[in-house]
Amino acid sequence: MSYYLATQKEIVDWIKRLAAENPLYFPEKHGAASYRFTRVGPGSDIQFDHYTPTVVPPVKLLVPAREELLHFRTDADGKTEVRPSLDTSFRIIAGVRSCDLKGIFLMDLFFKEGVPDAYYLARRENTAVIGYACNTPCDERAFCAAVDSLDHTEGADVYITPVKGGDLLVEVKTRLGETLTAGVDWKPCEDGAARRIGAVTARPEPFGRTFPAALPEIYKIVEKNYESPVWDKHVKRCFSCGTCNLVCPTCYCFDVADDLHLDVASGNRTRSWDACMLPHFAEVGGGHNFRPEPAARQRHRVNRKFAYLPEKYERGAACVGCGRCGRQCTSHIDIFDIVTDLIQEGAR
Amino acid sequence: MKTGTEYYHQLARDTFMPQPGRIVEIADMTAKDRYFRVELEKPLGHHPGQFVMVSVMGVGEAPISISNGPGKDNTLEMVVRRIGRLTQVLHDLKVGDTLGIRGPYGSGFDLGNFYGSDVLFVAGGLGLVPLRSLITPVVAEADRFGKITLISGCRNPSEELYRDQLDEWTDAGIEVIRLVDGTENMPWKFGVGLVTEPIPKLRLDPEKTVAALCGPPVMYKFVITALGARNVSYDHIYVDLERRMKCGVGKCGHCQINKIYCCQDGPVFRFSDLALLPEALL
Repeated sequence: MSYYLATQKEIVDWIKRLAAENPLYFPEKHGAASYRFTRVGPGSDIQFDHYTPTVVPPVKLLVPAREELLHFRTDADGKTEVRPSLDTSFRIIAGVRSCDLKGIFLMDLFFKEGVPDAYYLARRENTAVIGYACNTPCDERAFCAAVDSLDHTEGADVYITPVKGGDLLVEVKTRLGETLTAGVDWKPCEDGAARRIGAVTARPEPFGRTFPAALPEIYKIVEKNYESPVWDKHVKRCFSCGTCNLVCPTCYCFDVADDLHLDVASGNRTRSWDACMLPHFAEVGGGHNFRPEPAARQRHRVNRKFAYLPEKYERGAACVGCGRCGRQCTSHIDIFDIVTDLIQEGAR
Repeated sequence: MKTGTEYYHQLARDTFMPQPGRIVEIADMTAKDRYFRVELEKPLGHHPGQFVMVSVMGVGEAPISISNGPGKDNTLEMVVRRIGRLTQVLHDLKVGDTLGIRGPYGSGFDLGNFYGSDVLFVAGGLGLVPLRSLITPVVAEADRFGKITLISGCRNPSEELYRDQLDEWTDAGIEVIRLVDGTENMPWKFGVGLVTEPIPKLRLDPEKTVAALCGPPVMYKFVITALGARNVSYDHIYVDLERRMKCGVGKCGHCQINKIYCCQDGPVFRFSDLALLPEALL
């Protein structure tokens, strides 16, 4: 692990240089206030200021909305050949904030556990991640500090922190990070760790929204309040559209379906994002639905983030506090408000 | 942990590639339920109560219960109800056609939990299909068990599955109680009523009885209540549950029952283990 000090311009030039040689994705501004991870090209506007979380989190570059699992072709004799379709191309994702680094870190855990997922892991192994620290909350919806993701750096190959004086502290964290930074002429930094601590301690306190309880206690509260009026309160406004799932950095449920090409001989088996808030998510053939009520689906979703997955993996909340679900919800249903209500309900 | 492109290709194949199975026998069981015997390239190596993912490339894939008992041959038996697009295509297949099989998946029944006990099977509708994978080995080794009873119920006489098999089990000395919800003016020489109704009158030693249940979701609570009233302990009751499944490997999320995955932790559960899973019997 080594540290450098670089100027904003030096970093921007470096990212553009990397983008000239590799597919590189960076959160670029689209429209008035929306950011998207976009493939960087010669005309891209690379800057780190005025960021709010992208509509879709960067981890979805590793779990695309739709991906081919198998390709098949049936020959004239009726014999079908099937082969897996694996994406092992190299990519760089840069400008990944800590909440989204935590999202990638958690997805790594989920897809490694049990039967490992070849498709995710092959992409992940061929992905370099350049993280960027937030020294101020991005907007009023963020609660990254409340779920311990504000200081998450694991999974980044290079991690950049703005430090006092306007320079950027560059922390090279992995061998891949060394490759990415090979040949740079930035100033080596002896006291990098201390400068990073300086930046962390200079942050506003509290940083973003905070819960009225500590995390381990919250897991217990969410589990204990399985029957609670809170489950009916927010869901009254819910359209069951599944947007909260689609923009969530730790949602990975998927549907599997086949596509037959027009030659009627070849096609793919693909998987695509599914959403546990959608009405038919838990419906079986014949029509029985195991979670017909929106309240039961919302309870399931919140429990996954704050009870089931924290208990299973013991690596903290499965919500990274990015605030996307609340920001993107048509009805402004915010998982932060639901959990806060559960805590207050539990205290009563 | 292994990594590398070669490993991921192998992993993708092992996880999602179906193995070919050739249909060697087809029989109509009811107007909408069709029996298939499939010859695989190698033994399935399954436990009773496990399931496979059955697919036709270009149409889709679905979880289907294994209906035959464990064995060393390459056979897979299943009964498919025509209920959607894939099952319609499966019903259109002929003897000699090939379909895709992944699995077996899930926990299944452990025969060890049944040896030495009186065994009570309760099957509702299609539930008889997976239960047959357990009934078959129990009947085959009947001397290793006490009294064996099967309560099998369905909506009406035309919906009864495995009729010849039920006769065979009856002839083998198993107490088989065959019920329909109503005869609907069809000839029927057995009983009328719900599968719960014989339970209060059964000759049953609660200390010695182990029960295995499979049926529609609504069935479980009533049967378990009836068994509880006969003092059958909840850790002697096994339930085989149904859920939507898309992957079979604990990732797609559809089969989740609270914190567990039905495809991996189930579909067979000891009922006493479901106490903390309020979503289990819905």
